Amino acid sequence: MAAGGKGDHVTGLIKEIDVLERIKAMQQALARTPHLVRLGRLFSETVLLQVDEAEYYLHFDKGELVTIEPGPSRKIAWCFAIRTDAAALRAYWTARPTPGFHDLFGLVKIDRARIDGDILCLVKNLRFFKEFLSLGREEVPA
Amino acid sequence: MSIEPITGRYATVEIEGRAQRIYFEEAGSGRPVLCLHTAGADTRQWRHLMNDAAVTQDHRLIAFDMPWHGKSLPPQGFEREEYLLTTETYIATVLAVCEALGLERPILAGCSMGGRIALQLAALHPDRFAGFIAIEASDFQPAWYDIDWFDRPDAHGGQMGAALVSANISPYAPDAERWNTLWMFMASGPGVFRGDLSFYTRDDSLIGRLARIDTSQTPVHLLVGAYDLTCTPEDAERTAAAIHGATCTVMDELGHFPMSEHPEGFRPFFIDALARMTAGKEVAA
Repeated sequence: MAAGGKGDHVTGLIKEIDVLERIKAMQQALARTPHLVRLGRLFSETVLLQVDEAEYYLHFDKGELVTIEPGPSRKIAWCFAIRTDAAALRAYWTARPTPGFHDLFGLVKIDRARIDGDILCLVKNLRFFKEFLSLGREEVPA
Repeated sequence: MSIEPITGRYATVEIEGRAQRIYFEEAGSGRPVLCLHTAGADTRQWRHLMNDAAVTQDHRLIAFDMPWHGKSLPPQGFEREEYLLTTETYIATVLAVCEALGLERPILAGCSMGGRIALQLAALHPDRFAGFIAIEASDFQPAWYDIDWFDRPDAHGGQMGAALVSANISPYAPDAERWNTLWMFMASGPGVFRGDLSFYTRDDSLIGRLARIDTSQTPVHLLVGAYDLTCTPEDAERTAAAIHGATCTVMDELGHFPMSEHPEGFRPFFIDALARMTAGKEVAA
């Protein structure tokens, strides 16, 4: 991953976050978002979210995030993996990210994330997964 | 209740020997401005500007759905064809519409693939137009995705296409207009977005033609959104730099579909671009 890549200037402005706590909040938000669960009704897969060296295995079942399993693990099978760094993820989760940090594919394009595994599985469920990922985003100030 | 001033009609024109029933809309009066939509979408992307009295008080905006798009039908026999747009067919289509509608040297405003073809026309048929507003347009963009994702029997190409292009919409875009913009991609005919992207991501013939463009006769102004991942500001600025006399403005809070995703944010840039469409006349920065 391109440490020191585009957009590092934003990282100092954003407070540290606990990624696991944020994912748990996203899990609860997903459960409260029925249209999103419906969009993911055919999505029953495990996704690896890797943030720096930390691994989080997200087990989805019919659009619900049923288990968050912290790694590391060499035994858990996953469909696709999103690998990024904490600073990029913090920038992504701001209310109005700077260009490139505003979208999963943006992170990939600016070399702050990569997608491994069955990318077609992701693309077929792209709206669901991107909207799930953005549940961690902060609110736009009123 | 409100009724918009936009009117829509159909014209059947012959393009490369085939009859094409084309839907077009217009609003306003004055200098004609022919507006070209992006890949995978249609005329609805221009709805806000066509309803904007500040624009239509002295400009006649005309937009049409490319064959296979929106309310234009695909040609007879489409069911046995693989739709793949080409530069030649796209140019023939724009010129045929100009002729059918009797447009005398309109300003040509195109977004994304519409901007690409506007620059092709600036190089190849400048005598037919008064100037070019190339929005989210560049010399060439190879795909950073697999265009075959969008035409598969086992998945909904429209859903996948919309989810992908949402990457190009600015977080400043109002939610309602974000989703109206994405709806067009969701509703796109099977294989159409892929066929447009074939043109957009595989044909690099414009690169060698940019130097031909004579902006003293036909002004060229590029507009690009900072949140556009497909045609980045660097792409548009590189392209503008290769056209002697072309100008380029980066729009900080906009993305790849500015006229549709964030109409209020885009209108001052478009009004400024229209003011630049006078050959030989200096326009204040």
